[in-house]
Amino acid sequence: MPSANIIQLRQLLAERFPGLRTRADELSGARHAAWPTGLAQLDEPLRGGLPKGALVEVVAEQRVSGSALMMTALIHRALGENKFVAVIDGQDSLDVTHLGEDLSRLLWVRCRSTDEALKAADLLLRDGNLPLVLLDLVSNPAAQLRKIPATTWYRFQRLMEQTSAVCVVMTPRVMVAPAQVRVTLRSRFSLSALEREPQELLRELKMEISEARRFGDELESKSA
Amino acid sequence: MFAVIFIPNFSLQSVLRHEPESRGKAVALVDPGMPKPAIVQLTSAARVQGVCEGLTASQATARCAELIIKPRSRAQEESATEVLLQTAYAFSPNIESTAAGVCTMELKGLGLEARGETVDQWAGKIIEVLGQFYLEAKVGFGATPELALLAARSANPILTLQSEQRKNDSAAAIVESFPVSSLEPSPEILEILQRWGICTIGELLALGKDNLAERLGPAAVELFHRVSPDSPRPLKLIAPAEEFSEQMEFEHEIETTEPLLFALRRFTEQLSRRLELIYLVVAEFHLQLGLASGAKYEHVFKIPAPTGKIAILFRMLQTHLETVRADSPITSLRLAARPAKPEAQQFGLFESTLRDPNQFAETLARLTAFIGSENVGTPQLIPSYKPDSFRMTVPEFENSSRQRETKAGRSENSIGLQLRRFRPPLASHIEFREGKPALLRNQVFTGPIVEMRGPFFSSGNWWDSGRWAREEWDVETSDGSLFRIFRSPDGCFVGGVYD
Repeated sequence: MPSANIIQLRQLLAERFPGLRTRADELSGARHAAWPTGLAQLDEPLRGGLPKGALVEVVAEQRVSGSALMMTALIHRALGENKFVAVIDGQDSLDVTHLGEDLSRLLWVRCRSTDEALKAADLLLRDGNLPLVLLDLVSNPAAQLRKIPATTWYRFQRLMEQTSAVCVVMTPRVMVAPAQVRVTLRSRFSLSALEREPQELLRELKMEISEARRFGDELESKSA
Repeated sequence: MFAVIFIPNFSLQSVLRHEPESRGKAVALVDPGMPKPAIVQLTSAARVQGVCEGLTASQATARCAELIIKPRSRAQEESATEVLLQTAYAFSPNIESTAAGVCTMELKGLGLEARGETVDQWAGKIIEVLGQFYLEAKVGFGATPELALLAARSANPILTLQSEQRKNDSAAAIVESFPVSSLEPSPEILEILQRWGICTIGELLALGKDNLAERLGPAAVELFHRVSPDSPRPLKLIAPAEEFSEQMEFEHEIETTEPLLFALRRFTEQLSRRLELIYLVVAEFHLQLGLASGAKYEHVFKIPAPTGKIAILFRMLQTHLETVRADSPITSLRLAARPAKPEAQQFGLFESTLRDPNQFAETLARLTAFIGSENVGTPQLIPSYKPDSFRMTVPEFENSSRQRETKAGRSENSIGLQLRRFRPPLASHIEFREGKPALLRNQVFTGPIVEMRGPFFSSGNWWDSGRWAREEWDVETSDGSLFRIFRSPDGCFVGGVYD
């Protein structure tokens, strides 16, 4: 139990510096609201969906693991709910012709390098206007991804905490240390998948979900 | 009863309006339009140093080394006149643009007494508002417009020549003490009166109207009418132009953004305050930069959520100007605002709109600045069978209808896994055996193709120069990757990878 002086000091700091995070805030245990994705294997383990105001990392380590399929599903879901969506396309690879006719609520940022994508993400997260921000780095060269300083993700996490947006970072390997939720895609589709319905494929997506109870904790794994 | 707002040294104040820090310094205004350019107006600090009207710039600087010489600017006088009239119009609907820096207002029907407000308090508010626009004004009240003007010229900063019968005597005494030059007689008449030793209006009136008319003609009668409380002339009423602009011609050519932003900040403040005075906000800015080459750079800023907040408006201009490159220096600046009524918006529980459209517009401008307008926006599909056909459009999220039915959803031809496209398609070497792709070699993968679907033929635009044709396959390579490959007249390519 902290002493009265410590409590007083924390209150004083909170008044003087409203943006300051203190350990007391983290221990409050208040969980952010969630955004249901419509993917049962994601929403059920996460008790409602992707957490708002936190980073979510989707790791696609294997080829043909369904990361583009999942991203498209998230975009559809958000557009279907009349939400604004920003897609920061790290390697200008999004196939928009299969996203539907009305894309008037989609902001597509076509980047050519990881640096550009990170700067764009920084601007959009600071803006705080868009409820869903997707940062796709799956196709970016490994050499560029290795150069991302770890502090970048912590900065993004801090920005996210001030919003109620959902930010999904799609990566080819684990790299977003402060992610509240990490989804590792374990599927491996074959050529026959091209003839099947996307909904059917989405139901078959295998995911390993790790969730931190609170910021700074180790992620706990669950499989779905 | 009439009121006159009088701005002394109007031309000089117009020029110094955007440099208020110079008002306490020795500054003189030279009119370059005169046959022999000379000082026409000057600050009191310059007068103390011995500078006076009529001197040439070199004569004046000989008397005062620190003297700042400014050229007269018609454009800035126009802007100051707009400010004066719009301010006056905010206080009375009956206004007259009497002369440069002089605005006459009629007090009839304003109901100041009913509001429990004295004319001094009312005039104090006018002076305060004009002070926000860096214009020092004097206000005079009188029974006629001429008397009010006389009062305004002698005010410090407010003077009332009472019109009530019981105070007529004291009003007449004040008027009679004014110098005869305040009636603005013609130079010839003024010279004659001075030779006669007539210095004040009282001395002029003592000569008698008929005697004076006999010797000096109808012009002298006009002087009598100006001080008569019984002959008010009707005002030539005007409505101020609904144009809100600020402009400036730079003495020195501008090559960097700092001085430009400094001036723009002032302009934004002024325009925002002018609109605030009439309960409006800025809906659109029209920026015009005059270049030394004679060309003009123009840009229209549509404010997504009309606002009067200076910081937001200025940031929008600043973000844009950071990306502007002109081929020659800037010589003039003009910023015009289109007003709109402030919108009161209440967010619904299930509506999704941008929380801060202006912030989003700025973010978009920043994104566009470093990634390029062709790479930021909303995709719009082109009705064509040509693969990857779309165009980028400027997002208009703030205009997005809140209640519309969404059409977003999977398109009919969407089936299977999604493609991650290579833009441009990746040039590859594809080895064909019996007409079928068997081996793939490119930067991404080199190896055998183990399974495939296709070929799928497509072509289009055969009627114009954009003719295209391709033969496509979906292939699975030995490492388990799924590619879309195609053969066209230009060669073999990988269009993307399925994921």
